Amino acid sequence: MSGFAAVLRKDLRLELRSGESTLALLALSMLVLVVLVFALGAARVRSVDAAAGALWVAMVFAGMLGANRALLAERDNGAIRGLLLSPLDPSTLYAAKLCAAFIFMAVAEVGAVVLMVLFFNLDFDASMARLAPILVLGAIGFSALATLLSAITGRTRGGDMLLPILAVPIFVPALIAGVKASAAALSGAPFESMGDWLKIMIAFDVLFVTAGYLLFEHVVGGD
Amino acid sequence: MNNPTIRNWLGFSTLALMLASLFMVFDYVPPDAEMGIAQLIFYFHVPLAWVAFASFGLVAIAGIFYLWLGDQLWDDLGYAAAETGMVFCTLMIVAGSIWAKPIWGTWWTWDSRLTMTFILWLMYGGYLMLRASADDTPQVARFGAVIGIVAAMDVPIVIVSVRLWRTIHPAVLVTKQGTHGLEDPRMVWTLLVSLTAFTLLWAWLLMLRFTQLRTRSRMAWLAGRIALATAAASDPK
Amino acid sequence: MSAPVVEIRNLEKTYGLAFVLREVQLRMLAGAGAFIIGGNGAGKSTLLRILAGLEAPSGGHALVFGQDTRRLVARYRRRIGLMAHQSFLYPNLTARENLEFYAELYSLADPRDCAHQWLGRVGLAEVADTRVRAFSRGMEQRLSAARAMLAEPELLLLDEPFASLDHDGAEIVAALIRGAIERGACVLATTHGIPEIDGVEVAVFEISRGRLMQHVHKEEVRRGGRIRSLLGR
Repeated sequence: MSGFAAVLRKDLRLELRSGESTLALLALSMLVLVVLVFALGAARVRSVDAAAGALWVAMVFAGMLGANRALLAERDNGAIRGLLLSPLDPSTLYAAKLCAAFIFMAVAEVGAVVLMVLFFNLDFDASMARLAPILVLGAIGFSALATLLSAITGRTRGGDMLLPILAVPIFVPALIAGVKASAAALSGAPFESMGDWLKIMIAFDVLFVTAGYLLFEHVVGGD
Repeated sequence: MNNPTIRNWLGFSTLALMLASLFMVFDYVPPDAEMGIAQLIFYFHVPLAWVAFASFGLVAIAGIFYLWLGDQLWDDLGYAAAETGMVFCTLMIVAGSIWAKPIWGTWWTWDSRLTMTFILWLMYGGYLMLRASADDTPQVARFGAVIGIVAAMDVPIVIVSVRLWRTIHPAVLVTKQGTHGLEDPRMVWTLLVSLTAFTLLWAWLLMLRFTQLRTRSRMAWLAGRIALATAAASDPK
Repeated sequence: MSAPVVEIRNLEKTYGLAFVLREVQLRMLAGAGAFIIGGNGAGKSTLLRILAGLEAPSGGHALVFGQDTRRLVARYRRRIGLMAHQSFLYPNLTARENLEFYAELYSLADPRDCAHQWLGRVGLAEVADTRVRAFSRGMEQRLSAARAMLAEPELLLLDEPFASLDHDGAEIVAALIRGAIERGACVLATTHGIPEIDGVEVAVFEISRGRLMQHVHKEEVRRGGRIRSLLGR
């Protein structure tokens, strides 16, 4: 377990030091929201559905960028080989990378939520508290998926293009559930009404964290 | 697996059953009272769906075996299943679109089944793009196996979520009819024949492609052995 | 005779139609030192990577501590150190932070102290808190050597350890190699020229057309008996 803590601490330290990833994520989220506001037109801007949708679009874009970054640091000087060579289990490495990606995404989400409230004329009220767990579930699922996939796409030609192509179809169920639940939360509905959506998101998270944990060793390392 | 006799047998029986199926659909079975002639596409759409999903399942199963046993044979099978499945999935989307136009007046609808098919199609596309954009090394084969497994695991959740998504908006469109309401036994028979015909077609195409990939793998391996043997023969002694 | 640390039988490595290694046989016991010379792309690095478990052979067996290198569990990976062409260091971390990280990864008792000691040993104590991105290639090479050796591995694999090093740097690394052999580690290194390391006996091999051949030069003949026994023959 010391390996897990060491890797996570190292990633957070690297990120705090350069800061470029987090800033880029926040900037990207904001720009995506701006584009959507203009694209959807003034009439839509008061709709809770549009706000929820825009928020998730921004999150997915940011999440893809964030996942890439988590594994990018290991490509400098072949550091990934140093990790594979060490007694560290590939599964533990996955867990650490997943946590790092989740933290980046969570930070970006906070920024995106603030901007969403401002741009879509909503309020900072109790609905934020209902929104939080939904976004957490979404971030876990997306980080789990993207960490696994970016280990693949990082090592193939055209890898950057390939990550969204692979990730988005697979993420669809969590995306549908997340947007629906978010819209419900923002319009003041109680948790019971979103029960089904939350179940889907939880199932997705459990499934993909497990899959990533088991499959990561096949995907990392090698030639 | 490579037996040409089996392949030919498969090919001919496919042809026979396909012809039978066409006859049954266009001449034998009565069209649905409500939807008219356009409903007939149902007898092609359902088998196509079964084959597209089954092929995807095969990609995942082959992937599991490849990761476990490491034999190139499983990767060849998975890749062949992905390519074959993609063909059928594309046909299914096209068929769905052709069916949608006379029934609903649009070329595309977001009903749960079409949406599910489209997502499956995207997953197939992702797998094939991944394989195409990288060399054929064991590591890339492992990538493909993992993608196949992960995507296949996702399919049940996608089905559930898309169905839930659509039932919340019943006003948008009516979901396509399922296999309920097949009152006429002729309909049942036609469907069964059609299912068998498409399954055979799938098996036949899969076998063709699989044989090709196996041959390619074997040749690569042989080339490696020849290079080694040539070097050994010209070693100074 | 104790169990060999390294045992390679009929090793083959092919990439598609080209082969890199073939018919490689090697046996090394604890405390043995061997250098492999050969031109670029001859397969020296590949051999080391296979022994480290980072690549799989196409045929034959590579065993380290009696374990197949394709399936090295954590317990055995802990006892192997690799210094490769790439340094495995994080440019945005300081030298000290890099070594501490690796010390933690290998579950060493006191990572801070360990890092401090090794920085001293490779002559980087003054730049301990400078980021690696500011290092010269020679400094990075020395830090990489420290990283490879800080867990005191029983098998040390070094890929061109003297590259980019000035005279002082080369002496430091040579001293480290000597120290490793003296404490009983098995050392296998690749290099361009025939190495001169005082005080220890090393065998010299060459990879030619994919095969590993043992060199015999004057020193060898004189020390022949000892080398043979170290190489387990």
